[in-house]
Amino acid sequence: MIKTWELEPNFKYEIMKEPGGEHLTSCFQCSTCTLGCPLTEIVPGYNPRKIIQMSLLGMRNEVLSNPDLWVCLICQTCTARCPQDVRIADLLGAIRRIAEREEEAGKLKIDSVRPRFDKAFMHQLEKYGRLYDFGLAKEYYTGREGSFFKGMMAMSKDYKAFGMRLFKKGKMGPKALFPEKVKDREVMKKIFEQMGAGKK
Amino acid sequence: MSERKYAYYPGCPSGTTAMEQDMSMKAVFEKLGIELEEVEDWNCCGASEVEDPEIVYALNARNLAIAEKQGLNIVTPCSICYYNLSRSNKALKGNEELRARVRSIDDSLAYNGGVEVKHVLDVLVNDIGIEALKQKVEKKVEAKVAPYYGCYIGRPPETAFDDPDAPGLMDRLVELVGAEVVPYNYTKTKCCGGPLMMTRQDIAFEMARKVLEGAKNAGADCIALACPLCGMMLDAKQPDIEEAFGIEIGMPVLYITQLLGLALGIDSGKLGLNKNIVDTKDIIGKVV
Ligand code: SF4
Ligand code: SF4
Repeated sequence: MIKTWELEPNFKYEIMKEPGGEHLTSCFQCSTCTLGCPLTEIVPGYNPRKIIQMSLLGMRNEVLSNPDLWVCLICQTCTARCPQDVRIADLLGAIRRIAEREEEAGKLKIDSVRPRFDKAFMHQLEKYGRLYDFGLAKEYYTGREGSFFKGMMAMSKDYKAFGMRLFKKGKMGPKALFPEKVKDREVMKKIFEQMGAGKK
Repeated sequence: MSERKYAYYPGCPSGTTAMEQDMSMKAVFEKLGIELEEVEDWNCCGASEVEDPEIVYALNARNLAIAEKQGLNIVTPCSICYYNLSRSNKALKGNEELRARVRSIDDSLAYNGGVEVKHVLDVLVNDIGIEALKQKVEKKVEAKVAPYYGCYIGRPPETAFDDPDAPGLMDRLVELVGAEVVPYNYTKTKCCGGPLMMTRQDIAFEMARKVLEGAKNAGADCIALACPLCGMMLDAKQPDIEEAFGIEIGMPVLYITQLLGLALGIDSGKLGLNKNIVDTKDIIGKVV
């Protein structure tokens, strides 16, 4: 049952203000997005059409705390097939960013490690301008497991065999062990400080 | 051949997990007599982790501005880099206000819209052309190949350069090298699962398993692909996937430039065929 008194009718405008969320109200609920989504074969109940419907209705809390937000592959199949150009993959990204800001403000608890991973990834770019796999893994696992030691244990469990495999093929040379840095790193920092929603 | 020189955007895994893609790309272009000049001091495109489109645009404004100074169009072998560079290029070209905002962050982000961005598949088939490539083919690769496209080649629509439902650019290259394209339509454009590798390995593995088993069931000797993230999932993670599901796949995975390079008569070592995780010897053995 929908608790009509809890609906937030402005939620759709909040999403549409976020880059990627602009086309939300074009949706006419045909479900083409859901029917073509590869996740529906794997994740029970996964339904992007429903997330859109709930967003349109203003079910802000339900949408922002929906764990399915964090499993989208951004594969763009839905976007390619939508007859109304809703751009669902980008739209889900816009909703994820609203949820992340809610969490940063202490108003929401996100049940997914994905925001942590994405942030750790972005930190590498901010620092080096390029992806540094070890730096990313170190930050992500340490944060996820709560301490450096536990993080390294978890990482070695996930990646020991994989790392050895790469090492044997000569893919663990200096370019893997040390960060590749762009010369002008100041500009990377400035981009992350000055761009993005809410920073206009 | 229309263009003789490109700005080369290798992407972050080019020195590590996807070094064979980088090696084969360079070897093939050298053989074709087309110069690649690296986008000088390029930065990461944002991959799929930087979700805010505006940050992606700013990151790539720098890459585009550098290529513009070099006076060259960009070619990249990575589908995600292509998507980010190309959508940024479109957004910046079409929006004066965005260009100005990005420029105000730093002078190095001043981009005037003078660059085209292309994926290597597009360059090989549409710029260079099958006819021109045919003249350079020295050998035949007598293998059955599953051409795997994944995402960002046929979708999303604004940056796609192939058919979303039945892409064909890679098929044409596979035919060109004398190999047989196996029937593979169902899985050809499915996502490899890569974007969830670090956060939902269970889903990522399930996605990759479908792609691998699809190729195996179609009778393929190998998969050909054109993206380092797909390469990591399907090749480097293949032993982990076999272990997780208790199955045996043993499917060699080659970058399309490695396969093409074999037909162009390039030495397999130069194509980095000893760097792929699943052994490629059987495929090399099919070169006649
Ligand atoms: S395919 Fe487009 S119009 Fe149809 S339900 Fe999905 S978002 Fe709405
Ligand atoms: S982008 Fe996300 S919602 Fe759309 S089809 Fe792919 S996995 Fe499904």
